[in-house]
Amino acid sequence: MPAEEMGKLSDKLRLTFAVSTVLCVLVLAISPLKDFRAEWKHYKRAYVRFAQGRPDTKRLLADSNMEIDQVWLPSMNVTDRCTTCHQGITQPSLADASVPQPFRAHPPIPHNTRDWGCTICHRGQGPATEVPEAHETTLAWEQPILPAHFLQASCGSCHQAELKETPQLTRGRELLAYLNCSGCHKLNTVDRARLGPDLASVGYKVSREWIYKWLKEPRTLLDKDGNTTVNGYESGDESRMPQFRLKEEEIRALSAFLGAQKAKPIATYKINPAVVSAWSKNPELISQGELRFRQMMCTTCHPVAVTRGGETKLIGGNIGPELTKVGSKVSAEWLVAWLRDPQGYLPHTPMPRYGWSDEDLYKVSQYVLNKLTDSDLLTNIPQLGAPSDEEIQTGKRLFTDKGCSSCHSLGGAPTQKDFGPDLTALGRKNASELEFSKSKIDRNLVSYIQAKLQDPGSVNPAARMPQYSWNQADLDAVTTALLSQTGAPPTSALQHLVIPRKETSFQPVGAFAEVFERYKCTDCHRFNGYGGTLAPDLSYEGSRAQKKWIAEFLKNPQTIRPTLTLRMPQFNMSDRDAQIAAEYLALAVQKPEVDPESVDSRQFTPAMVTKGRELYEVKYQCQSCHTIGATGGYVGPNLNNAGNWLTPAWVEAWLRNPQALQPDTIEPRRNFTEEEIRDLTAYLMTLRVGIKPHATKSAEISHSMGEGAGR
Amino acid sequence: MRTKFLPIFLLMSSVLGALAISGCKKQAPATNADTAFGAYDAEPDWSDPSKVVKLGYRESQGKHIFYTYCVWCHADATPAGPSNRSNLTPMPPLMNDGEKLNGESDEFLQNIITLGGTALGKSEMMPPYGKTLSPEEIKAVIAFARAIAQPPYKAPGRPGPQYAPK
Repeated sequence: MPAEEMGKLSDKLRLTFAVSTVLCVLVLAISPLKDFRAEWKHYKRAYVRFAQGRPDTKRLLADSNMEIDQVWLPSMNVTDRCTTCHQGITQPSLADASVPQPFRAHPPIPHNTRDWGCTICHRGQGPATEVPEAHETTLAWEQPILPAHFLQASCGSCHQAELKETPQLTRGRELLAYLNCSGCHKLNTVDRARLGPDLASVGYKVSREWIYKWLKEPRTLLDKDGNTTVNGYESGDESRMPQFRLKEEEIRALSAFLGAQKAKPIATYKINPAVVSAWSKNPELISQGELRFRQMMCTTCHPVAVTRGGETKLIGGNIGPELTKVGSKVSAEWLVAWLRDPQGYLPHTPMPRYGWSDEDLYKVSQYVLNKLTDSDLLTNIPQLGAPSDEEIQTGKRLFTDKGCSSCHSLGGAPTQKDFGPDLTALGRKNASELEFSKSKIDRNLVSYIQAKLQDPGSVNPAARMPQYSWNQADLDAVTTALLSQTGAPPTSALQHLVIPRKETSFQPVGAFAEVFERYKCTDCHRFNGYGGTLAPDLSYEGSRAQKKWIAEFLKNPQTIRPTLTLRMPQFNMSDRDAQIAAEYLALAVQKPEVDPESVDSRQFTPAMVTKGRELYEVKYQCQSCHTIGATGGYVGPNLNNAGNWLTPAWVEAWLRNPQALQPDTIEPRRNFTEEEIRDLTAYLMTLRVGIKPHATKSAEISHSMGEGAGR
Repeated sequence: MRTKFLPIFLLMSSVLGALAISGCKKQAPATNADTAFGAYDAEPDWSDPSKVVKLGYRESQGKHIFYTYCVWCHADATPAGPSNRSNLTPMPPLMNDGEKLNGESDEFLQNIITLGGTALGKSEMMPPYGKTLSPEEIKAVIAFARAIAQPPYKAPGRPGPQYAPK
């Protein structure tokens, strides 16, 4: 190249430079342009336009700017930019459902967004500034937004104690306990469960054929349409015994092993022959037995199929097993021995020990054995004959291998623990950590949990987990409770946020301890947070009820309210037991603020009673909820016998503030003056039935209506 | 030499350009949070059980309170079976009775629940719940009643034109 041409550029090169310069400038301009067009800025501008169309523009735009808005809480590991787009979440005027997202206000909750951020409850990717990045599962972020329907799971991550605002979570936790999920899985915040029956002597109770049938087809099944059926009757309840996927020879081996379990012979009881001969020929025997069965309120715990108006359905509680076909299940000697002393066969049974006369025992057992039967129950079951040693040995191995021993013990031996996977951190799992095999479900945690619960084999053909039957609401509840199992907080600094579950127990002492054990009061009643929720809470019974009334009620519990189907059983309690229980309840379980002796009903004058009656009937119209005589409402307890039942001190305290005595009562707190309280109490204390006080307390429907009977 | 750099220049700029343009084009589809993330809870339509009414957070809290406190007199079926409603004169309105309740303002309903029937010239059989439920809880119950109302409830005079973000 000649020297004079050095440094000179050809036209072609100039053009190239020009084009690349323009390109370069364009490329440099792309970044600001991209920034200007960022999705979040679009929402920022849209919010301004939106706010301008609202009457309170000024307030809506008070904090508005064009920056990324973020909640940064280093101690809680929260960097949430959600409020960049969700700009109206703290604006009360944007609460209405007509306000388009993402601008709608957050509904009022006990936590403040600025203190907690969003992702602690909703999950999703907090630092993201693009819609799909923030909400959905991406390659880099596997925790998508939690669907709103399961949001209560997040409450449960910290609130291990029960919350009244999260019924779905509470129900889920109850089911995890009821179904004894912790028999196989490690779980947090789940109550101790009642285990399945001990099987050490099951060979005396049922036949090998029945065990075969039960293993093949437990009582509760899903029918072809996906409905839960118990013994063929449709039911809304879950069964505790699930269906295992067992091969024919496995069922044979297990039934051989279990049928041979005869550790402790039954204490056979011979019913007085005079009673038997007097009744056995009586055509009324079965109907009399049924009458006693109903009078003793067996159905408070046990469901039985009842046909009314051509429609058959199960009626009864869910504490004990369903009994419609039990007469074809158990042996006659076992039944009689069991009814007399259930704890003699099964020490951990919730079944109370009734006081039986020989006559009742004969009538009821004959009713059960002759009427609660199904002649077709074992029709399709092969005759299995005597078990071989080999079958028994295989059955013994299978009993452990299949996980039976996670729920059932054999003579008090400790049950197998941690048979299934640890689920304490299931709620935090990423989709990539889950096994979906060939299933076609969505690749996320919620669909995984639901698919696994509905059909364990669908996501893992080799799953050992048996088949449960669920209704949709319970399936969602259990899913919520499982999603709440998020393990220990991610940093120890967050540990203090966890509100632990309160461990409660109630163990009476003295003479009452034995009575309490015998009648299993806490199956239905609650003392200081411990026990069932079917019947009234008795934590303060000593402040509420008169001792004499308690003793009478226990001997003859009567419910005159026609609406209550689950009532206190008739235990045939002896005078002595009733007296011991009444003494204990009246003295040992009181509310310190309500001394039953503090109000003397002798101070009440007839003038007060007249005024009280007027207040009750005219000014406050208490009859809208309470019954006196034959008229009034069904919501509150019947007050016919209030004068014999309640202590005047309790009535006064209750009228002042019912929730102070029983926080979950639905009786509204009123604005009574002290004078009105005295007059109303004076009137109520005059309400007495008969000479001998009869139990008219209608099992306090306020509680059982709300909590128990609805299940 | 000059021909050597040219393709590199062109290549670089086109790659950058392509990258930038593809970045620009990456626009997310509008996500409707209500359908993407589902309803908080649901209640079967009382007059047609085959239909389900989806409930948001507040309506669900209201549903829970309704089924604890109000259901006994404001529904024909209760968790315990029979209802107390037919026992009362005048008969209380069903909670989904749009014909009766749609005409009443939120403020009126808030007041009658808080202060009771007598305070507003209605039946004393409706007791006051102002000392039992918080104002927030009462608002939630009203939100639930509005959600299940038949015929459906339409809030009066909603401000501003309907706005769609995209």
